[in-house]
Amino acid sequence: MPVPDVPPTTGSLDVALFAGMAEAAGRRRVTLAWSGGTVADLRRRLAAACPEIAPLLERSAVARGDRYATDGEPIAVGDDVALIPPVSGG
Amino acid sequence: MAHAVDHDPRVTLVTLDADPLDPAAVLAAVGARAAGGNVLFVGTVRDVTGDVATTRLEYEAHAPLARAELARLCSAAADCFDLVAVAVSHRLGVVEPGDASVVVAASAAHRREAFAAAEWLMERIKATVPIWKCDHAPDGGRSWVHGQASAERGP
Repeated sequence: MPVPDVPPTTGSLDVALFAGMAEAAGRRRVTLAWSGGTVADLRRRLAAACPEIAPLLERSAVARGDRYATDGEPIAVGDDVALIPPVSGG
Repeated sequence: MAHAVDHDPRVTLVTLDADPLDPAAVLAAVGARAAGGNVLFVGTVRDVTGDVATTRLEYEAHAPLARAELARLCSAAADCFDLVAVAVSHRLGVVEPGDASVVVAASAAHRREAFAAAEWLMERIKATVPIWKCDHAPDGGRSWVHGQASAERGP
């Protein structure tokens, strides 16, 4: 079997869910097949893969690591990504 | 557990955990000889909102992001209000009515800046830090609070 010259860029992406979003999904993590894309792409993919979170997703921010990410930012395989529904601390 | 605030010596304490809060310790963390005004805010769990009863609140967070956001907000408050020191502690887990869920302390040369900083910090914490509360009702019902507009991105 031929060995590819380039390491694979496709893989999976784990997206962490919290609070009412985790409850709506019935799980705390959604795993998508992922070959790269922006935060906006991720939003579209998540809405399709997990329609039960779509209403809250529209009102949610996306976090990568310990920062909020804007819609144009790239998300790579292996990134630490979370959905942040409207917050209610205090 | 205290979060190490790497790059801002004015941010003297940031905690986010399930331990009961100690307002005196948070106030002590902002004490300094250069400070003439020291403001301590203690947010506690109410047993009623309007005419809806709450038996307890349960807090959850994206902890690494929440600690980082808390530290960034404290640092921004220190810049904006010329603080000598600033500290914040927030609870996770179950908090009973009457118990503290959040404590903010700010010290400045004069009281005006310290009051303004504490108010500003509480507004920002409630708007942007990834912490959520689940409201438990007397009938056993529970609901996550996601009422505000979408989380804003940064101070």
